[in-house]
Amino acid sequence: MPIQKKPPIPISGVIYGEFIYWCTCISAIIVVFGTIKSFIEGSSDIPVEQLLDAVFAGQSADTIWASLPIGSTPNALTYLSLLNTGEAITVLGICLGVLSVGPAIFLSAAFMWRSKNKFFAITALFSGIFALVAPFVFFLT
Amino acid sequence: MLAFTSIDTLIIRSTGLVVAMFSGLVASGPFMRKGLADIKLVFLGALPILLGGFLGSFAAVKLSQHLGETGDSIVRLTLGLLLAAIAVIFVLGGASTEYPQARTKSRLATKLKLRHMYWEETLQKPVKYNAKNVKIAVFLLFAVGVTGGFFGLGGGWAVVPVLNLVMSVPLKVSAATSGVLLAMGNSAAIWPYINIGALIGVVAAPWMLGQIIGGIVGAHILSSIKAAFVRKLLIFMLLLTSFKLFSRGLEGLFNISIPMI
Repeated sequence: MPIQKKPPIPISGVIYGEFIYWCTCISAIIVVFGTIKSFIEGSSDIPVEQLLDAVFAGQSADTIWASLPIGSTPNALTYLSLLNTGEAITVLGICLGVLSVGPAIFLSAAFMWRSKNKFFAITALFSGIFALVAPFVFFLT
Repeated sequence: MLAFTSIDTLIIRSTGLVVAMFSGLVASGPFMRKGLADIKLVFLGALPILLGGFLGSFAAVKLSQHLGETGDSIVRLTLGLLLAAIAVIFVLGGASTEYPQARTKSRLATKLKLRHMYWEETLQKPVKYNAKNVKIAVFLLFAVGVTGGFFGLGGGWAVVPVLNLVMSVPLKVSAATSGVLLAMGNSAAIWPYINIGALIGVVAAPWMLGQIIGGIVGAHILSSIKAAFVRKLLIFMLLLTSFKLFSRGLEGLFNISIPMI
């Protein structure tokens, strides 16, 4: 029986996968740090016990945030001004993972272009732009 | 979570998106390294999924503000029916869905060179495949993006049938590619939820971290298990979740209690 050879693996895919993989690992470390800080910090604008009680009581997001010392519903920008709280650090970690998709797509698109897959390089470019623009759309509306 | 807890559905949906996304993000590495995920299929579906996911989550936020608890029950019922329908498609498709063969050549797929092969560990040989029905698949992926963003599922569960049943891509490649694609799609879909404060970090964190570990383990296991087992597991999970969702939806809509559920 002839020995079957393993097919080659496209470099553009490997680049995409590795970039995303390591960014996710870093974001997971930040999330762990933020979560631990949430539970050990004394007083905070976002007290974790109160937050969890409200969540598990089935309250809506608006009601939950209104009942906390922060007083109003946060958006992505609010979290940036609350980076001394564990909750905001946790959300920052999550956002880092989310935002890693854009640069990973651009890197992969460059290798796609070099390997003469121009159509997919262009579609990737548009996807990357959309992934990076998506967070800012709501600040414009 | 929609099926098993009483937490507000927007919070559950944002948590669901994060959980599904991080599983796909971390699994992208092993999937690409092993050549299981097809990067061309990923970039073909990326834009429709990103756009659809974003629009779906935007619609979910707007609808929840108008429909309240009745809306939650309708969401659960609709999702339950949708998952049951997909499970039935996999049951009817039988074993032919594991390594499908495209009987006719698609002109667009040929032009885009949408043909590839991957190393099948269980058979110890490469498996070749030719994709087909590109236009229909792109439209369906957009619809999957909308649905996934709306329900907070990411849409991976529906990307597999689109790639496998519509495009004739082998089941394992479909599963791996859908993992990468759903992570991409959710990266846009999560922002409407973050902007209305529906993403609670300490609620999402434990699920997310568990899913990261599960994503790495699952990506390694997928290459070495038989495609038939993947199909059966998928059917079982779809049916179980749809049953629970359906009963929770009925309980909410008609204010009744269904015992043992």
